[in-house]
Amino acid sequence: MAILTRGAYAEPGTTLDFKTGNWRSTGKPVHDHVKAPCHAACPAGEDQQAWFAHLQAGHPKLAWRELVQANPLPGVTGRVCPHPCETACNRAAMDGALAIHNVERWLGDKAVAKGWAYPVDAPADDAPIVAIIGAGPGGLSAAYHCLRNGLRADLYEALPEAGGLLRSAIPRTRLPREALDGELNRLLALPGITLNARTRLGRDVTVEGLLSTHAAVILAPGCQSAKAWDVDGAVPADLHEGLHLLKEFMDHGQFPKADKVVVHGGGNTAIDLCRLMKRAGASEVTLVTASGLPGPDTAPDDIINVVPRELDEALEEGIEIIDHATVSRLVMKGSKVTGVEVVSLKKEPGKDGRKRRVAFEGTERLLSVDMVVPCIGEAVDPEGLQGLIDGTYVWAKDAWGRLEPENVHVLGDARGDRGTVAEAIGDGRLAAQAIAAKLAGAPDPEADTRLEMGASGLNLSYYMPTPRHAPAKVPVAERRFDTEIEGDLGRAAALAEANRCLSCGNCLACDNCWTFCPDNAVIKTVELAQDGSHYLFDLDYCKGCGLCAHECPTGYIQMVPED
Amino acid sequence: MSDKSERLAELRAKHGRPPAAPHEPKHDAPTAREAQPRFRGLESGHRACQGCGEALAARLVMECAGPDVMVANATGCLEVFTTAWPQSAWRVPWMHSLFENAPAIASGMEAAMKAKGKNTKVLAFGGDGATYDIGFQALSGMLERYHNILYVCYDNEAYMNTGIQRSSSTPHSATTTTSPAGKERMGKRHLKKDLLSIIAAHHIPYAAAASVAYPQDLQRKVRYAMGIEGPTFLVIHSPCPLGWKHDSAATIEVARRAVECGLFPLVELERGAVTNVMPIRDARPVTDYLELQGRFAHLFNGEDPRAQEERDHLQALADHNIQTFGLNGEGDDPLDTSGIAAVGRGGPVTGRG
Repeated sequence: MAILTRGAYAEPGTTLDFKTGNWRSTGKPVHDHVKAPCHAACPAGEDQQAWFAHLQAGHPKLAWRELVQANPLPGVTGRVCPHPCETACNRAAMDGALAIHNVERWLGDKAVAKGWAYPVDAPADDAPIVAIIGAGPGGLSAAYHCLRNGLRADLYEALPEAGGLLRSAIPRTRLPREALDGELNRLLALPGITLNARTRLGRDVTVEGLLSTHAAVILAPGCQSAKAWDVDGAVPADLHEGLHLLKEFMDHGQFPKADKVVVHGGGNTAIDLCRLMKRAGASEVTLVTASGLPGPDTAPDDIINVVPRELDEALEEGIEIIDHATVSRLVMKGSKVTGVEVVSLKKEPGKDGRKRRVAFEGTERLLSVDMVVPCIGEAVDPEGLQGLIDGTYVWAKDAWGRLEPENVHVLGDARGDRGTVAEAIGDGRLAAQAIAAKLAGAPDPEADTRLEMGASGLNLSYYMPTPRHAPAKVPVAERRFDTEIEGDLGRAAALAEANRCLSCGNCLACDNCWTFCPDNAVIKTVELAQDGSHYLFDLDYCKGCGLCAHECPTGYIQMVPED
Repeated sequence: MSDKSERLAELRAKHGRPPAAPHEPKHDAPTAREAQPRFRGLESGHRACQGCGEALAARLVMECAGPDVMVANATGCLEVFTTAWPQSAWRVPWMHSLFENAPAIASGMEAAMKAKGKNTKVLAFGGDGATYDIGFQALSGMLERYHNILYVCYDNEAYMNTGIQRSSSTPHSATTTTSPAGKERMGKRHLKKDLLSIIAAHHIPYAAAASVAYPQDLQRKVRYAMGIEGPTFLVIHSPCPLGWKHDSAATIEVARRAVECGLFPLVELERGAVTNVMPIRDARPVTDYLELQGRFAHLFNGEDPRAQEERDHLQALADHNIQTFGLNGEGDDPLDTSGIAAVGRGGPVTGRG
C-alpha cells in the first residue's frame, strides 16, 4: 500500500484559479509595527518590547545589549526611575503592568556581574572630540552615545568623582554605591571617554575655550543651587534647604537635631528627605505638597511627581502627607520657627484657561514644628554660563538640545523642562546623535513618528492571566541607611515577567492570523518576510473580512483602504 | 498533445508538481503556499462569504484529519462554496450527496474501504440543517451500524445556503426568514435541539462540541476522534456573518462569547457520559453575545417589554448549561476559556511543556 505524505495526495485544488481577492470592498490587511506605549513613554528612548523579546527567548545577554542601545545605565535607572513605562503599560488594566524597572535592574546587575561588554567600538584615534560639562547621568549618557556615533568624549566634572546627583543626593537605600560604581566604572573605562575630575566650569574651563579645542560642547551641569524660599518674607535663621540637607547627610550621615519636621515640596528629594529624617529619629515628619496623591479622581498632571514605589514605602513608614496644600505662614519665636500654618489649595483653570493654584480661605491650620525644610526645586548654578542662562534655566531650542551658539547643546535638569535621570539619559543620546549628524554633514536624524498602540487596539482574549511578580522588600522596622530596600527580582521571575509582555503593536509570531484565515490567504514563511514578520498576505485570495486584524492579539495587523 | 494534458501541464507549471512517488524529489522549488507546514485539505479560491465560520472550521478539521481521508459532504453551504463547477477547493477525495443521506453515503464509502483492505478514514460533513433535521435518520443509522466514520456538523444555526430559514438548531428567539421577529413572535419560538445528547444516547465512543474560537481545542478533538475505530461525532459552532448579521471581522469574537456566556458549552461525551468540559471561570452575561448579532437585535428594543423577558430566558438557558455541565470548573487549571486560546511568542501556549 502506498504511503501518503502530506501534500502529496491530490492535485492542487483548482479553485486556486479563482482569485477571490477582487471581492475585497472595504480594505486589506497590512502589517504595521506601531510603537508600544512603554517605548513611547520612555524618556531614555528604550525599546522595552525589543529586549523583553530576547528575554522571552531566554537570552538575557542579548536583552541587555538591546537595552543599552539606548540606556547605558540600566542598573541605575532600574532603581531610581519613576518608570513612566509601567504607568503606560497596556497590561496595567488587565492584571498589573509589567515590572519593567525590576527586570531592567536585574539585567543591569547581571551585566556588571558577568562583565558583558558594551556594544561599542573604540573610536578612531583622530575622531572628533566632544566636550561634556558634568559627569552626571546625562553627561555620561552623552559620552556613551558619542562613542556609539564614532566620536570621542571629554567629560569635565567639578567633583572628584563622576555620578552627579546619583552619587550626591540619592540615598543608598534606593541606589547602593556598589550598584552605582559597578556601572559607572565600566562606562568610564570605555576607550574614547576621558574624565577630567575636579574641573569646574567658569573656574577651570569656559564654554568658549572648549569650543575652540573641541568639535562641540554639551552642557550637562544639572541644577545645583537652591531656589530662594520664604513665606511672605519670613525665613528662619537656621534654614536648611532640602537638597543641601540631603547632600550633607550623604556625606556626614547626620541631620541637625529636630523632632517635628515639615518638608515643603513634592519631588523625590522631598520624599527621600522625609524618610531619612524619620529613620534618623524625628518623631513626626509631615510632607506638605501642592500636588495630589495618586487615585482615581486625581488628574494625571496633578499627581505628585515621585517614584510610585517610594511614595508607597513612605506611607508605610508613617510619613504624614498633606496633599493639595501649601505653607502659608511661619510662626516664629525670634528667628526660630515654632509652627507653620498650612492652607489647602488646588489647581483651578483661570480665565485664560491656564491652571493656577488657588488657596482656599478658611482651611488654614497650624502645625507645631521644630524645623521646616523647603524642597521646592533647584536652579542652574550660573557660574560659567553667562549669556546662556535665561532666568533659572538654560532653555534649549529644540529636541536635540541646541542653544544659540553653534555646536553647543544642553541636556538634563539644566533645561528646566526635565526632571528625571531617564530624561537626562535620553537627552544625552539625542544630543550626541545630532552632533554626529552635523559633523558628518547629514541632516538631523529622523524622529520616530509612528503611532502608539493603545489598549483598545489589542485583543486581550489571547493573553493568559498572570499576576505581576514583585521582589522582596526589607520590612519597615529593619530599614536603615545603607541596605537597599527593594530586593533583586531574580532570574526566574525576570524571565516570567518577560513572558507577560503583550508585545503591543509588534508581531509575536503567534500564528493567529495563519490559523484563523477562513480563506487560507495568510501564508507562513520560514524566512523573515520583508516587514520582519513570518507571515504574508496572499491578496489574490484575501476577501478582506478583517478577521486576522480583529484576532491579532498585538494589533500588528491593521485594515487599510485599498490603494 | 491532447487538450487535457496541455491543461494539466499548464496547471503544473502554475502550482508546482507533486512528486509521482514520495521518495522522488519535487521538480521545482515549492512556492510559499506549497511549503506551508500544514496539510492544505481545503484550498483558497472557495466562494464562502467574508469571515465565514464554516469555511474556517472545515479548513481546521481538514488540516489535522488529512491527508489520508475521504469526505462525504451533504448539500449545504460547504458543498456549494467549495465546488463551483468545474473547480474544487478540496485536495482529498470528496463526494457530494443529497441533503439527507451523507451519513449513508459515508457508510458505503467506509464499507468499500474495508472491502479493499484500506485504512483511509471516511469523514462525513453536514451543516445543521443536514444534521439536526433532514439527514438525522441517516445519521442515526450510521451511528447504530457502528461505521468507522467521523461525522462533523458545522453548526451555523439555520439554513444559510437557501436564505436563512430556521432549523431545529436555531437558538430560541433568533430571527430568521421563517421565524421573523415582529408583533406576533420574538423570533424563533422553540428551543435549540439538544442534538449532542441524542447522539450520545447512541452509546458511541466519542461525541463532542467544539468552537471555531478555540482552534487548538477543536483540533485536539478531531485528532482524538480520528484515532477512534468506530463512529464519532463533532459539532462545531460556526458563526455566519450573513445569517447572524454581524461584522465579518467579528466571527471569532461572536463564537468566543457564545462559549464564554455558556450558551454553547464545549463538552466531550464518551459512551454517553460527560468526560470533559471546557470550564468558564468568569461567565459573561449572554447580552455580551447577543448584542453583536443582528438576529437578536429585537431583544434590545427598549420599548418592547418582551425583549427583557427573552433576554432573561436566554440567560436562564445559559445558566442551566453552566449548572448542568459544571462549567464553573474546579481548581486552578488554567486551561479554560481564559487560557486555552492563550498565545505567546511563537504560537499557542497550549501544549507547551
